[in-house]
Amino acid sequence: MLRAAAGQLSQVIRGSFGVSRLAAIGAVRNSSHSTETDAEFDARYEAYFNRNEIDGWEARKAMNDLLGMDLVPEPKIVIAGLKACRRLNDYALAIRWLEGIKDSCGPHVDTIWPYMVQEIRPTLTELGIETPEELGYNQPELALKSVYEL
Amino acid sequence: MASRMMALALRHQPAASKTSLIVRAAHSGSVNPHLAEKLEKLGNRDVVGFGWNGEPTYYDRPDFPMPAIRFKENTPDVLALRAKEKEDWKKLSIQEKKALYRASFCQTFAEMKYPTGEWKMHLGNTLIVFALAIYISLWMAAYIYDPDPISFDEEHQKAQLKRMLTLEVNPIHGLSANWDYENKRWKK
Repeated sequence: MLRAAAGQLSQVIRGSFGVSRLAAIGAVRNSSHSTETDAEFDARYEAYFNRNEIDGWEARKAMNDLLGMDLVPEPKIVIAGLKACRRLNDYALAIRWLEGIKDSCGPHVDTIWPYMVQEIRPTLTELGIETPEELGYNQPELALKSVYEL
Repeated sequence: MASRMMALALRHQPAASKTSLIVRAAHSGSVNPHLAEKLEKLGNRDVVGFGWNGEPTYYDRPDFPMPAIRFKENTPDVLALRAKEKEDWKKLSIQEKKALYRASFCQTFAEMKYPTGEWKMHLGNTLIVFALAIYISLWMAAYIYDPDPISFDEEHQKAQLKRMLTLEVNPIHGLSANWDYENKRWKK
């Protein structure tokens, strides 16, 4: 009797949750365990920025994504991003990208950032891009008026 | 109820028709008024990206450095700079490069991360509230509360202690356990 009742109950539970939805949860859980290696990750983003038909929307999305991650992108990704900015004719985006990279160095900016500049220097010279320091953007330049005083 | 039915229906639609439903909803004039207001304020600024939630708004945030729209509208001088930007960037002067940056973005990282000093105001306000609370409690003690009960003076407290010892209060681990009843003094 008990077993019969338990069988009924499991049928009811399965019916109310829906087998497909339980399967979907499993799929989501599994997908969170990425098997991508660091090298594959770098290659993926480099190839993404190197696409000729990349547009401003895609470049900005990838940059926002990368700068939101707990990492500093490899110099080759940064270079690919700068070249994408050149193809998109967006100098401001290139500077913002570099500023974001510098910001993502966090407390290790003194060790990582000089290395990064050294690695990307040939590209900067080739494309005519200044580092944020060369534009004076390592220090605040303009003050913002308080919105309560406008 | 209707919206719940709609949600249920949507959940069982394949992804493609879900998108077309949303597009159709947008075309039938039921654009989210919140979004419509944003689009109205946009002016002729370029919408250049996704931003952080897909809305056409500008904000300087270090975690999403590329907002969905450019900061400045497309005024003739900005458009002239944009035309020049299409050529070799080495031909641009530093001033022009900075102007291009400020046309796309409001604040640099150094500016948005610079401390505002606002914590001083908050600390000051908090201390003012603390001081007021102390003065209010002093004033309450002086003018509102009754005086302390008579049993608070030393004589009454001693009498109370004596009575507790006589009653042998807490004789195992507590008060009376420490009292030497034979010698009439506290145990050493």
